[in-house]
Amino acid sequence: MRAGQAGEAPESAAAAALPPPSLDLDEPGTIEFTAERALAGRALNRFALSLRSPASRAEFLADEPGYLRRFGLSDEEARLVGERDWTGLLRAGGHLQAMLKLAATVGEDLWSIGACNAGCDRDVLIAATPRRVSGVPAPGSPAGGA
Amino acid sequence: MAAVIGGIGISHTPSMGAEYDRGIASPDGFSPRWQPWYDGTRRVEELLERLAPDHLVVIYNDHLNHFDLDNYPTLAIGVGARFRQADEGWGPRDLPDLEGDTRWGLHLTEELIGREFDLTVSQDLTLDHGVFSWLPYVFHRGGDGAGNGNETGGWPVTVTPIAVNMVRQPLPTASRLRSLGRAIRASVEAFTGDDRVVVIATGGMSHQISGARFGMANEDLDRYFLENLPGHLDELVAVPVREYMRLGGTEAAELTLWFTMRAALSQQASAVYSFQTFPAITGCGALVMAEPGALPGTDQGSEAGS
Repeated sequence: MRAGQAGEAPESAAAAALPPPSLDLDEPGTIEFTAERALAGRALNRFALSLRSPASRAEFLADEPGYLRRFGLSDEEARLVGERDWTGLLRAGGHLQAMLKLAATVGEDLWSIGACNAGCDRDVLIAATPRRVSGVPAPGSPAGGA
Repeated sequence: MAAVIGGIGISHTPSMGAEYDRGIASPDGFSPRWQPWYDGTRRVEELLERLAPDHLVVIYNDHLNHFDLDNYPTLAIGVGARFRQADEGWGPRDLPDLEGDTRWGLHLTEELIGREFDLTVSQDLTLDHGVFSWLPYVFHRGGDGAGNGNETGGWPVTVTPIAVNMVRQPLPTASRLRSLGRAIRASVEAFTGDDRVVVIATGGMSHQISGARFGMANEDLDRYFLENLPGHLDELVAVPVREYMRLGGTEAAELTLWFTMRAALSQQASAVYSFQTFPAITGCGALVMAEPGALPGTDQGSEAGS
């Protein structure tokens, strides 16, 4: 079964509004969660992962600055959280899956993060997906001889 | 002795779970984007019912929902009578817990560590969408599925979950995950009794959910993988993981979990069914493999690679 045929035309129109995804792992296409970022993002990720319980989410929403201070966020990290600067948060060492807990808590979601990362409106991004690319491991690679 | 009788590779994503709840509850059914996934998984559900496993070994990746970065295990095994649903930030979905079988949990831990897989043992493991998103598509629950009727509404089979790090670099190598599959097979065969075990690996397919490449979709890669995994495991393992990430998005690295499933089966195991679709931002595919004789009356291989 091959799905994704339905709605092909609107997808293509929306895709035109965004450049095609590049086939490399460089920024800004990819913001890798490197081991260095994992170290740098300790406070950010501890804070975000604390939001995995309803009580913590309520506490955070009741007093954002106070809650962030308790987790030892720097002024710059607190600013990124306050501005919901998802791209800045990932660059500062926030893991996407941790930042998603923050998004859920403040009534946003994965599309909000994606739109910020891709530099477009949320609706544009939703309409553009799936953003189709093509390519399989090269014939010269080991799998090519299969 | 117990036996691995089949294996399944299947994708997971939070929206897959949310769309199941919505699609089943709505008079209009599934959304156009998700209807093909629901339709395609009907055959998976049917084949699983015929395979009638007594136990599942599920290889999955946690998404910072149970574990956190202060202590991140490369490989962890859940041992317990019950596996609750993790709160991913939106609160849990209305689904029953999964049941464990501590005989299996203890046995697999002992056997795998004896085979030099130094697993972290998690005695109160909560499971996230890595397991619960595809689960209702492929397993009938007892009663009416909502806890009403004569049965409990629970899942029909017990599980042993094994969590693989896909969060914190460095990730385990593809080769190591293939070795894990072989060790799982040997460990299952060391179990006293005649239990039928299905190994399920979940992750992938192509997707990337951050950065400017957010939402990239490589269906050619997904089809290539489904077509080659049954007969060309070693060739796929030899492809650098970063090549899958470059072509299919960073989260395509999760495809390496499928190597564990394939390696837990014999060379003679064959593909019974596969399909793929791309609803929104995650390549969604499934592959069902069975050992010879595990599915009497099925012309194994006839539906593969669709």
